[in-house]
Amino acid sequence: MLSIKNLEAGYGKVQVLHGISIEVPKGKVVTLIGSNGAGKTTTMRAVSGMIKPTAGEISLSDKRIDGMESYTIAKLGLAHSPEGRRVFATMTVTDNLILGAFPRLTGSRPKGDVANDLDKALELFPRLKERRTQLAGTLSGGEQQMLAMARAVMLNPEIVLLDEPSMGLAPILVEEVFRIIEDLKSRGVTMLLVEQFAAAALKVADYGYVLENGRISVHGDAAKLRDDPAVKAAYLGGGH
Amino acid sequence: MNSKSLISGIVGFALLAAAPLYTSNPYYIHMIGTIMIYAILLFGLDIVVGYTGQVSLGHAGLFGVGSYTAGVLFFKLGAPLWVIIPASIGVTAGFGALLALPALRVTGPYLAMVTLAFGTIIQILINEMDFLTEGPLGIKVPKPSLGGVQLNEHAFYWMVLALLVVSLVVVDRILKSQLGRAFEALRGSPVASDCMGVSVYRYKVYAFVISAGFAGLAGCLYAYSEQYISPNTYNFELTVLFLLAVIMGGRKSRVGSLLGAAIIVILPKLLDDLEMFRIVASTLAVLIAVGGAIAVSKKMTTPKAMALPVLGTIALAGFSFWLQSITDWRLSIFGLMILFVVYYLQDGIVGFVRNLFARKGPRAGHAVVRTAGEHKDAIMNAAAGAGQDLLIAKGVLMQFGGLKAINQVDITVKRGTIHGLIGPNGSGKSTMMNVLTGIYVPTAGSIEFSGRSVVGRTSSDIALSGIARTFQNVQLFGEMTALQNVQVGLHHTFGSNIVDVALHTPRYNREEAASVERGLGLIEFVGLADLANEEARNLPYGKQRLLEIARALALDPQLLLLDEPAAGLTAPDIKELITIIRKIRDHGITVILIEHHMDVVMGVCDNVSVLDFGQKIAEGKPAEVQANEKVIEAYLGGTAA
Repeated sequence: MLSIKNLEAGYGKVQVLHGISIEVPKGKVVTLIGSNGAGKTTTMRAVSGMIKPTAGEISLSDKRIDGMESYTIAKLGLAHSPEGRRVFATMTVTDNLILGAFPRLTGSRPKGDVANDLDKALELFPRLKERRTQLAGTLSGGEQQMLAMARAVMLNPEIVLLDEPSMGLAPILVEEVFRIIEDLKSRGVTMLLVEQFAAAALKVADYGYVLENGRISVHGDAAKLRDDPAVKAAYLGGGH
Repeated sequence: MNSKSLISGIVGFALLAAAPLYTSNPYYIHMIGTIMIYAILLFGLDIVVGYTGQVSLGHAGLFGVGSYTAGVLFFKLGAPLWVIIPASIGVTAGFGALLALPALRVTGPYLAMVTLAFGTIIQILINEMDFLTEGPLGIKVPKPSLGGVQLNEHAFYWMVLALLVVSLVVVDRILKSQLGRAFEALRGSPVASDCMGVSVYRYKVYAFVISAGFAGLAGCLYAYSEQYISPNTYNFELTVLFLLAVIMGGRKSRVGSLLGAAIIVILPKLLDDLEMFRIVASTLAVLIAVGGAIAVSKKMTTPKAMALPVLGTIALAGFSFWLQSITDWRLSIFGLMILFVVYYLQDGIVGFVRNLFARKGPRAGHAVVRTAGEHKDAIMNAAAGAGQDLLIAKGVLMQFGGLKAINQVDITVKRGTIHGLIGPNGSGKSTMMNVLTGIYVPTAGSIEFSGRSVVGRTSSDIALSGIARTFQNVQLFGEMTALQNVQVGLHHTFGSNIVDVALHTPRYNREEAASVERGLGLIEFVGLADLANEEARNLPYGKQRLLEIARALALDPQLLLLDEPAAGLTAPDIKELITIIRKIRDHGITVILIEHHMDVVMGVCDNVSVLDFGQKIAEGKPAEVQANEKVIEAYLGGTAA
């Protein structure tokens, strides 16, 4: 589905990624773990076209997407739920969700039934259903995070990039976010997941990559990584 | 300023000083003089536009105030030069304060409109108040006398040059001092500035006043240079030209101001003559083509992105040779060139060149060399009086419309402890932080900190009395380096005023050196020593949070509020954070910690309060709270660690 080969990217003079390769097969959940500054968010941004890679290839369903504009990539079916809950604060929850489907209406992919998908998305996120007429900016942090995820799902995407979906959420909501990720997975949604709770991410994922200073140091089946003593010591910590 | 730019600066000014010796043509002397006068104004305008990030369309008006102060003082009173120059600066600075008043209330396009109206009113006033200004007739001002001798063109030129150099040095010193950092901080994040004890209100006014002072000086010199002033000069077009000059030359750069001034004076004149225009267009095409080639070879841009500007300038050059007469096309070409620069060089010419030749690695700034040997701990000790109540909040109510974000909450925090504040998202924790730091004024209730009420006081006042904070959504000053961010927090350690800054008095030098030393110490404390000269926006998220802690500690707080410091951190980073929080407590600083990571809360807190829907539902030792049924149901959930 998504294939990254020898990707290099950075900001201005600072190179962050030094040639990383990642495969996300259709219907699978792949997670990217690593410490702060390792390049997880940069990878996500490069894939969705928010920054332009300086070298390497990124393909979505065998079509090269590196160097394309973000809106073109979105039309091809790649949804990005960015770090830090970037919702449209002055629009209602419903409008935020409908906008999530916007790239479908202008691209070459099937348009589908937006109204029906809206209902389905609200079923998936009951908290949002209660608040669908509220302005997104007035939602609590956890609800905004759910909105960002629901908006990504509204694209009927081929693949969803989830960047730190549980950041800043109460423990009870962290559980709910992971439940939703499980739920999406069971519906066959392909996902690339970046998470601070590496242990939980490896539980839900099929496959994992460990990023260290912009390079992939280890990768393998999620279950295997979870038991890898080096990974355990460096990223899983105690408990969560 | 490093030695290389100092030398090139001296050579440049020596060439400028020698200009009158090469040409006796008064036309060129006058033109260079005008450029220098505009440059003085642009130095000041750049403070407002480049550093504080406010748009001013009122600077032609201020320029006019300067000119007319000089004109009227000479015409009515026959005042001498040494009276007129300070008077022009002073009067215009006063008008600058007037212009700053709207700037405190409105921002963005609204501010632009208000300053535009200000400029227009000034022009109309000059026109109408003919008892003072002679109205549309204008005032004749001969060249000034110095020591009883009337200055000729050359002597006046040198005087302007001398004042240009003085202005340059003064502006440069102001902008590199704590004042300049305060201006830049306003732009980066007003909320954070206030919470670092740098009053947004006060420093916006300062910026406008200083900026207006330079406009006044420039206006005064302009009156002498033209020898005749009339209201029409200070119109809308001039104000737009000034703004364009700052943007085209390059924000936040003195060289940019000089370049910008040169462009707005010379370019229209070059376009008067077809031969000249051909030379300019060809040179431009060559420059852009070479610059583009370098940029592409350095992988800074793609050939596709460079194609249009390169082809465009080549087409312009071709067009110049096809043209038979330029008179009809002059204004269109001028407009086109400006459009081109503004569109393609958004960082201005200086910014573009800087990007082109920028070295890899950290940018030059303060040398990150600390004096060898053992240094004092950079954190102030606040241990006195441990165990007493430091913060007492009673019955705090914060109402937004019908929503009670905080509903009758009592919290007492003992000195020297770490007090956790947890609860579901939207339960009012961050609102509580904002109430404690004066961002919100509570609807009801009392908050006493160290025996004094904080209700109704401004954020910067509260910050200076000893409450520092970090922000849930990081509020760093992005364009400033890590060290400069911390130095903004150290703003309160400066006692030197603008005169100290301009003259680099021993007092200022001592304070600046001390702030670098302590700033580096604080950065080291949070483990970012090797990133001190990196721009804050380039740091990864987790390190930005640590930098915020260092900046907050710079305030020498007694109480530190940490709003979700562990959000977005991975397990090993969290361990490091816990160590840092404990070390902060060991210095006697009291901490209030909002956090969702239970391992952090349970690991460091002495007491924990739990909020839900704005109300306190539990309080006590971490273990008690963790076992509380209500807390598990509302917040922790079944399987939480």
